[in-house]
Amino acid sequence: MTQVQPGQAPLKSLQTRLLVLLLGLVTLVWLAAAVLTWFNARHELDELLDGHLAQAAALLVAQQNTVEDEGMIDAPSLHKYAPRVVFQVFHEDKLVMRSANAELQAMSSTTRGFSTVRLHHDKWRVFATQGAQNDVQVFVGEKIASRSAILWAVMQSVLLPLLINLPLLALAGWWAVRQGLAPLRKLSLQLSQRQPQALEPVVLTAMPSEMRPMVDSLNGLFERIEVMVASERRFTADAAHELRTPIAGIRAQVQVALGAGTDDAQRQHALQATLAGCDRATRLVEQLLTLARLETAPTASAPTSATALDLSAVARRVAADLAPMALTRHQTLTLDAPAPCTIVGNDLLIGVLVRNLIDNAIHYSPEGACIQVNVALDATHVVLQVQDSGPGMTEPEMARLGERFFRVLGHAHPGSGLGWSIVKRIAAVSGAQVQVSRSELLGGLAVSVRWPGQGSA
Amino acid sequence: MRILLAEDDPILGDGLRAGLRQLGFQVDWVRDGVAAERELSSADYAAAVLDLGLPMKDGLDVLQALRARKIATPVLVLTARDAVPDRIRGLDLGADDYVVKPVDLHELGARLRSLVRRAHGQMQDTLRCGEVLLEPSARRVSLKGEAVLLSTREFDLLHVLMLHADRVMSREQLEQQLYSWGCEVDSNAIEVHIHHLRRKLHPDVIQTVRGVGYTMLRTQVLA
Repeated sequence: MTQVQPGQAPLKSLQTRLLVLLLGLVTLVWLAAAVLTWFNARHELDELLDGHLAQAAALLVAQQNTVEDEGMIDAPSLHKYAPRVVFQVFHEDKLVMRSANAELQAMSSTTRGFSTVRLHHDKWRVFATQGAQNDVQVFVGEKIASRSAILWAVMQSVLLPLLINLPLLALAGWWAVRQGLAPLRKLSLQLSQRQPQALEPVVLTAMPSEMRPMVDSLNGLFERIEVMVASERRFTADAAHELRTPIAGIRAQVQVALGAGTDDAQRQHALQATLAGCDRATRLVEQLLTLARLETAPTASAPTSATALDLSAVARRVAADLAPMALTRHQTLTLDAPAPCTIVGNDLLIGVLVRNLIDNAIHYSPEGACIQVNVALDATHVVLQVQDSGPGMTEPEMARLGERFFRVLGHAHPGSGLGWSIVKRIAAVSGAQVQVSRSELLGGLAVSVRWPGQGSA
Repeated sequence: MRILLAEDDPILGDGLRAGLRQLGFQVDWVRDGVAAERELSSADYAAAVLDLGLPMKDGLDVLQALRARKIATPVLVLTARDAVPDRIRGLDLGADDYVVKPVDLHELGARLRSLVRRAHGQMQDTLRCGEVLLEPSARRVSLKGEAVLLSTREFDLLHVLMLHADRVMSREQLEQQLYSWGCEVDSNAIEVHIHHLRRKLHPDVIQTVRGVGYTMLRTQVLA
């Protein structure tokens, strides 16, 4: 399931990321603690040992006051740590006592207080003090290295557990993170094992609350896709179903033409009918395509090519186109569109809508019927109304109108039932409302389409 | 054979009527369910081709109404509804055959012949009365193995008589089975065709039952 887009930093696994973060932070905190310990320990150690140095120096001074001058005494080295400590006692600038490892010269130029000096290759911490009469000068020194050794020992006790524990912690952290991410892995497994057609919602038992929004929106997406696929499937099935009849007609007519033998009139008739059948199938396909395009068009946003247009002009154009057909059926087609009425929409689609409405009125009304088309402006809306004196519709029929392929029974005119779906869809896309009722004026069907008004231009 | 065609699509209906006529059927064409039911209840059709998506009354409703009134005319449902549940419903409601559009004309003809045959308890295509043999599909007739040339009407009349062998058919019944609408039927047309058949086949091939009608016997022996 890992996909790395070219030109994009490869995404590490969540597990690695969490682990690296966790271990990094632990190490950092630990190191900070170690540094703090280092400074603290050194400070405490310095204070303690400096105290000892001062104490030792004080003792030596005191001793010098009580012990009479007996020449130089070399104090014996009594402990294995003794070489690390050194002292010198001068009396009137004469070295009277020193430790075994002490030099003959004064260790430090500082005569009072602490100093750090370099003797041979070692650094020493030296405390110098003088007797009350300033005749006694005492130096007590201690190897700095020995202090560092103590400090290191302390630090080791802090850092060693870290070094040992870090791999253990990494292992534990890896396990913990893995456990924590188990629901995520479960989800990804479930998704990866899905059939491409499977659109049922993802169900996870004991789903963590953090994952719920993700899974919920995923399920929402599945639901939307399912609705879309279902409508697509229904459309395909309906279309296939609806195309069977014209194709059956074409097939039958061709077979009649083939079997006509010497009957030229019959062959001619059958071939003409074949042609008409092809035209009908073509028109049906066009309607299906129009509808399919409309169905994929987003409802919320107006079509991209929407412009302000004059509905009266569109109605006039369409009525002029369809008038000859009405005339051949001895119908009276009247257009009443006195003032320009501006609506926003796609010129082509609005044309299709108006054409479908007038075309339906012509076809579903008997010969000699009246068809009245009005375009008018009321207080808030631009209204297109198409009325006829045809048989009209019953309430249930009106309710079912616009279901794809629904045809009102009892009409000789073979329609595909798609016209209404197209009208409804275009109205939805261009933000108009469609209303079907009985015509007060003519007694047949009255269809009103209302657009939010833009005012008369 | 006289067939009722119920189909609302003008091009398909026209094509089926013309095509079935070419195949030797007499075809009456209605365009809505109400007319289909009316015609099937009132006239004697050998079979019916019924579209389901008919105006005024759905084909399945027509079928149900017919069967409820014990009208046993074989019905072939010809429809665009191809889903299995639709087929099952159609057959269960009394359809004798269920064909999805588009259909080959010759196949449709064969299916209709088969329906008519089964309706008359016939096992094979060939009908036989003694030494007279009639093959509806090939529209051939032979007597004692020798082919006999008949006109369309004569063939159809012989076909009806042989289908109803051993039964006496009245002149009205024969006319109903032979003539579709719009055919000018002379009052003595049937007698004329019977006369021709007797002349072309054998004088005793068709028996007259005075005051009742005509019959052919399955086991007839012609001298």
